[in-house]
Amino acid sequence: MAATKAMNGPKSAEERMQARAPEMELIREAQAGSRTAFDALVRQYEQQVLRLALHLTGSEHDAEDIYQEAFLKAFRYIGNFRFECSFYTWIYRIVTNLCLDQLRRRKTRREDRAVVLDRSGDEIDLLASVPDGRSFSNPAKELDRKVLGERIQEALTKLTPRERMVFELKHYQGLRLRTIGEMLNTTEETAKNTLFRATKKLRTQLAGLR
Amino acid sequence: MNCEVAHERIVAAAYGELLDEQIHELERHVLGCPECQEDREQLLALKVLANAHPVLEPDANLVARSRLRLEEALDALPPKRWYERLSQRMTNNFASMQAAPVAACLLLLVGAGAGSLGGYEIAQRHAARAAQNVQTAQAAVTREQAQTGPAEIANISSIVRQPNSQMVEVRYNQVVPQRIEGSLNDPAIRQLLMLASENSASAGVRDDSVGLLAAECRDGHGCQGAGIRDALMVALRYDKNEGVREKALKGLEPYVGEDVQVRDAVLEALLNDSDARIRTAAINILEPVGADTSVRQVLHSVANTDQNPHIRNVSRQVLSRVPEIQ
Repeated sequence: MAATKAMNGPKSAEERMQARAPEMELIREAQAGSRTAFDALVRQYEQQVLRLALHLTGSEHDAEDIYQEAFLKAFRYIGNFRFECSFYTWIYRIVTNLCLDQLRRRKTRREDRAVVLDRSGDEIDLLASVPDGRSFSNPAKELDRKVLGERIQEALTKLTPRERMVFELKHYQGLRLRTIGEMLNTTEETAKNTLFRATKKLRTQLAGLR
Repeated sequence: MNCEVAHERIVAAAYGELLDEQIHELERHVLGCPECQEDREQLLALKVLANAHPVLEPDANLVARSRLRLEEALDALPPKRWYERLSQRMTNNFASMQAAPVAACLLLLVGAGAGSLGGYEIAQRHAARAAQNVQTAQAAVTREQAQTGPAEIANISSIVRQPNSQMVEVRYNQVVPQRIEGSLNDPAIRQLLMLASENSASAGVRDDSVGLLAAECRDGHGCQGAGIRDALMVALRYDKNEGVREKALKGLEPYVGEDVQVRDAVLEALLNDSDARIRTAAINILEPVGADTSVRQVLHSVANTDQNPHIRNVSRQVLSRVPEIQ
């Protein structure tokens, strides 16, 4: 999250260019066929890629597959990268497309999961790691956290893959709507409208919890 | 601002995507609109609720496992072929041109213009050079017709002197064979004769030219200059034909006394010539200058050491006739 926020910080274009210079050099080397440079790029972005994929799919196995496929695609097509956007946007575009495909397949199969599956197929309770200092987590006031988490996940699955993605990138990853538009090959205005629809649906779904 | 717009802006504001002036406008609207206040509360509640589904940092094992799997997959990929790289580069270039169509068009126009201008300039220069070459060639032909120089002569094919006349006919070859006729006193004829004495492949032509030049010298017709004497000395020293050398020697005879270079050439002939007749003739020619120290030394040397007894004998006779000190 910190990395993404830093990307959107109030820096001047020149400062951003200077900050990106080492990365651009790595990209050029990778384009020239340097495997070492590409490995460095992978290490730079792998945490963010896995975090996004894991949160969107809720499955370590799927996240691992998306990670694998995303970086293989990046390696294969890095020659096509023309520095028209940041590498961060470019790699996220690949990842979000793969995640969207995964969400659409899951939507078709109605494979809704309230828990995260690890590689061996065992369930992981995501809510168990949530800090307990929030007002709504008081059992006396509302549902217990486990039920709450399940309801939220269920509500998220009711969104279209695109709405789910925009909400994920905005709410959980903290990206600017303009960046989200670039990643999803759409405009900032469309991303804003999609976010509005997503929040509206979620409010409807979670109305009983307030 | 109506409520529909306000609802959209509430979402945008909640996620920090609203401009400051729009925020103030929204605040004024929400303050006077209970429905929009409720909408904002619902949204803020949703934001809090959504955080109950937290973003987890990926497990270190998951990261390591994913990286290992990726490295294996990358290792298994075949290296890119040259045509794949070329294709990718071309695609990129094409894409770049697509991205800048105006620049691409301008570049094409500038390139086409520069190419046309360059082609026109080259064509103009080529035409000018061709015209200049034609003029040069025409001028050369004119000069050739007006004057025949030795540099244009390939070789001398024959020399014929008309009986009882100063007239001599020299046949020589040029790139285009030509013929010239004139007096022996004609400098052009003499030039040709000297050229023939040195360069002709035919011994007969050399013999004729050297014979004529030698006769001119003996007759005292314009051999005061170095040109003809030099030609005769060269013939005496280097010509392979003994007849030519003999004639050259006779031609040089009148100048043995006055020209040290001629004398040296005759002495060399005495010492080195392979033909006994020439050496004997050289001794006889040197007799008038036998008092010369260098001549006497050579004559002494020949008289004592020459293998040919006739040469030795003639040398002794000459030495006996000339005084010891002149």
